[in-house]
Formats: sequence, C-alpha cells, structure tokens
Amino acid sequence: MLLVARKNLFAEKIRLAISVGGVALSVFLIGILLSLFRGWDEQVGGFVEQVPADLWVASEGTTDFLAASSVLPDALTATLQISPEIDQVSSLIVRPMEVHKSSDPPTDTFDIQLVGYDPAVGLGGPLRMVEGKSPPGPGEVVVDEQTRKRYDVHIGDELRRGTKTLTVVGVASGGDFVYTQVAFVTTQTAVEFLSLEPSSVRTFIVLTLDNPEDAEIMAQRLERATPGAKFVTPEQFASETRDRILGNILPILIVVLIVAFIVGLAVAGLTIYTATVEKSREYGILKAEGFGNPFLYRVVFEQSMITGFLGFMLGAGMTIIIAPFAQDTVPQFVVYVRWQDVLAVASATILMSLLAAYIPIRRIASIDPVTVFKG
Amino acid sequence: MTEEQQLILGLHNVSKTYGSGDLAVTALKEANFQVLGGEIVAVMGPSGSGKTTLLTIAGALLKPSVGTVSICGVDVTALNESGLASVRREKIGFVYQSFNLLEALTAVENVRIVVQNHNRNGKAAEHGDRALAMLETFGLSHRINSLPKKMSDGEKQRVAIARALAKDPDLILADEPTANLDAKRGHEVMELLRQKAMEMRKAVVVVSHDNRIREFAHRVVWLEDGRLHERHPEDRFY
Repeated sequence: MLLVARKNLFAEKIRLAISVGGVALSVFLIGILLSLFRGWDEQVGGFVEQVPADLWVASEGTTDFLAASSVLPDALTATLQISPEIDQVSSLIVRPMEVHKSSDPPTDTFDIQLVGYDPAVGLGGPLRMVEGKSPPGPGEVVVDEQTRKRYDVHIGDELRRGTKTLTVVGVASGGDFVYTQVAFVTTQTAVEFLSLEPSSVRTFIVLTLDNPEDAEIMAQRLERATPGAKFVTPEQFASETRDRILGNILPILIVVLIVAFIVGLAVAGLTIYTATVEKSREYGILKAEGFGNPFLYRVVFEQSMITGFLGFMLGAGMTIIIAPFAQDTVPQFVVYVRWQDVLAVASATILMSLLAAYIPIRRIASIDPVTVFKG
Repeated sequence: MTEEQQLILGLHNVSKTYGSGDLAVTALKEANFQVLGGEIVAVMGPSGSGKTTLLTIAGALLKPSVGTVSICGVDVTALNESGLASVRREKIGFVYQSFNLLEALTAVENVRIVVQNHNRNGKAAEHGDRALAMLETFGLSHRINSLPKKMSDGEKQRVAIARALAKDPDLILADEPTANLDAKRGHEVMELLRQKAMEMRKAVVVVSHDNRIREFAHRVVWLEDGRLHERHPEDRFY
C-alpha cells in the first residue's frame, strides 16, 4: 500500500516539494517560536531561581523582580536576623535604569537592572564569574556577559548616569533577562550611585533557612508576623517575574503558532487534495479492481503522513541549523529546545497530516468506479 | 452444462433506469444473459445502446433497478459495497478501453498490486513472482520496469490483460479492448486474450462496436436500445 502512496507522491516532485516545503515552514515557525518562548521563559526567571536563597521578601503588592517597586526598611533585615530558624539574611537594592559608557555619547544608553548587595553575605550577588573580580569595591560594578556582548562593555570601562560613574571590574553570567541584565554593586555603592533617600530603604531581602524544606511554612509564618511584607519562595517569585514578561507575549505567540499551523495545514491539505483530484480516475480503477475504501483512504493517509514526516524533518533541521545563527546575530533571540517541545511539534505535524488527509479522503469516498469505463 | 461449463455470469430480467419521472432513461430492459466458464461472448451494439451499463452491472459495479445478477452462484444484487468490492476482487478481471494502468507504477507493479490485493495472506515474493510470470506470458519481460508512459498502446493493453488474469478470476469483462489500437495490434491483443482465456477456462464478455471482435467469440449478443438479442457469430451487423 505504501508503494502506491510513495509512487504517486514522488511522481510529482514539484508538488511534493511545495507540500513538504509548506509543512517544513510551518514546523520551523512553530519550532522556533516554541524554542524562543522556552528560551525567554528560562532566561527571565533564571536569576531569581538561581540566587541561593530560600525566601525572597518584598513589600506587599510587589509583583516581580523586574518592576522592583518594592520598598522595605533595612531594619527588617536585622529583625529577621534574630529569628532562630533563619540562617542568613541580606538586603538588596534593585533599580532598573539607563546608563551609557563614558566613552560614548550620552544618548547611547542601554538598560541595566542595578543590584546593590552585601558582599559580606554574598546572597544576591554575581552567580558565576566569567572574568575579573568579585565582589566589586566602592564605585565598581560587575556586569553580565550579555551586557558585554550586546553593548561592548569591558573591564575598565566606565558606566555613567548623570554625573555619576561606575567602573566595570568584572563580568558574570546568569543575570540576563533578555531585555535587560543585572549589574552588581555593593549596597553602599548603590546608595551613593542612586542618591538614595532615605539611605535605609531596600528593595528586597533574601534569606536562607536552617531547614530549607520548611520554606513555605516559614513564609506563611513570617508573613503573619511582618505586616506589609510578603515572603515568597524563589520558584514563586521567578514564576511571577516570568508572568510579568511572558504573560504579555503569550497571547501573541499563540496567535502566531495557530497561523503557522494553519499555513502548514493549508499547503499540505491543498497539495494532497489536488493530487487526489488528479488521480481520481486511478482511485476509480482501484475501486473497480476490488480495492475497498479503507485501502484507498490509507493511500491518501500515507501520502499525507510521508509529506508530514519529510516536512517535519526539514523544518526541525532548519530550526536546529538556523537557531544558533539567529541567537548569535540577535542576542534577544534566546532559544531553548526541549525534547518535550520537539514531541509537541511532531504531534502538531501528525495532526496536520491527519487533517490534511480528511477532505481528500471524503473526495475518494465519493468516486464512482463506473466512471473508469467512460472514455 | 458440463462441469467445466458452469454458469459464471447470469443476468435475470435485469433493467436499469437512470433518473426518475419525465427524465427517466432506461438503459437496459429486461435483459437475460448467461455466460459459461470457458465461453467468450461478444456484446455488440452501437454507441448509446447500453453496452457500458450492461458491463458495469455484470461487473458488480452498478446495481440494476430491477432483476438479479449472479456471479459464480452469488446473487450480487443483495450485496453491500464491501461485498461487491470483494466479488470484484475475487471473481472479476477487467480490461478497459483506455488500459487504465496506474501511471506512477511500473508494469510489474501494476500487476503485482492487484495480485497482492487478491491474495492478501500471500508473501510479497509470491506476488512479485506471479506478476513477473504473467508479464512473461504476455511477452513483456523486457517491459517489467517500464512506466505506462514509456510503453506503446499495444503493450499497455497486454499489461492490462495480464493484470486482469493475474488474480485468476472466473470472469473477464473487456470494454472495447481494441478501440485504441490499430487493426494489427487489436487483432494481436484479442487473439492473446482469447488464447489465454481458453487456456485458463475463463468466462469472457467483450463489449465492443468493432465488428472484428466477432471472429474471437463463441457467441455474439446484439444490444440495441437497451434490449439484448442473441445472434449467431456469422451474422452481419453492419
């Protein structure tokens, strides 16, 4: 049975190429968008998850790390420190801002998420150093490797905001949020650089527990004891941060995914349908020869599945080859390919193939074998 | 009727009407027609006389409006679509005017696919051997891997006859088998069909308006305005 399907399919190479190309384009679009979504998802929550804290503390109503609208008194750090179940406590000053290199015009700004942390504790500081020194000293900053890559910032450069400058002394990894990256300074440097008033204001507090497995219970207990503050696990806080960024993108992404699916379905469906119409007489011959409808349906189904398989292989290959180039060219193009997503795209392709075969199969069902005796 | 000459095809008071009311057209009227094993019957008549209707009813492709059709003792008018397909698969081989080979398949594949459909429990190698043997029988050994578009009309028709006989059917139904062939090729093809059908004791019905068909038939039936008339092969029609 595969013989008829394969021979019919490969007899018209241009049509096959169009059909496979359509499915491949669809698979490529779906694959790249899913990988992009996963890449962003991984990236924007990564820093918050990777800071070795058991709980994050923010002021009530704070939604995420990036908006950083939280305001906490530094005194809370000392209060929490005396709790017997808490191991380490450290406060963070976090502010989104625009800076520019001193050597560049003031208009050539870029975004950073300035993080002031306590080097004595180390919580909330650089995750992995790539180059240079850590912790930074007074007036010094450790930037993310993506900042270096995108804005050509190197050790020794000065980052300026207004009249104040920070000297780059190190490069770390793990602080990329796609559209901005963290830059680490000491708490004191942050207070001075931001001209913070009052200087005791903090954005977040991170803490570790003696029993990290009790994090959620502790969060509830501490929240009851500390009005105006919310205590969340890194996973919860990362999830809220992801929602902040990806929640706006997701509906658009879903629409594009549906469009990509429809494009693939339309191209595969139309080409298989025209192939079926063109071969109507031959299907009539097979019916006259005693081939039942199930056999003929299988021929169309197999054609559709072969087209889908070839399209999937080509599309997946394009994704795997093109994605790294795109990532190198456009830093925001962060892709992360998961095997679950590959399976999802394969499932979408199978669904596409099944749907593409549906109308041609209905057409075959209506073919009258008597017509083969005419002309 | 001897044991060898068992009734293969029987039409009993068969009529076929297309449409209804004022638009009704009766293509076949109260036809009674029998074909025995090893017998070659030519059904002749002018265009529009109902030959194709007769052939498609005899071929279990079309159900009559009235009457019964039996093929190898089975009343096919009582069968559903699946049952009719089964009868066509097991009992009937078709030879068409326009050959009706599958264009994307080679000669041997065209024959093999029919054998495969008929003998579903057989091995692929057996199907292939049977197809090759049939093509060799019809002098087409050199054409086994040729696509239909690379073959002459005479070769195509020989492949079509090989395909019809390859599944060893009891009944061969041929629709204008010489219409697309020149006189010499037509004669060769008919002679081959007659010879092989006789060897394999098949019942053959050849529908044609070509008067030359008569010389290959044991019996000729004349069809005009939907009515069948028995005539002797030596009678002149035109």
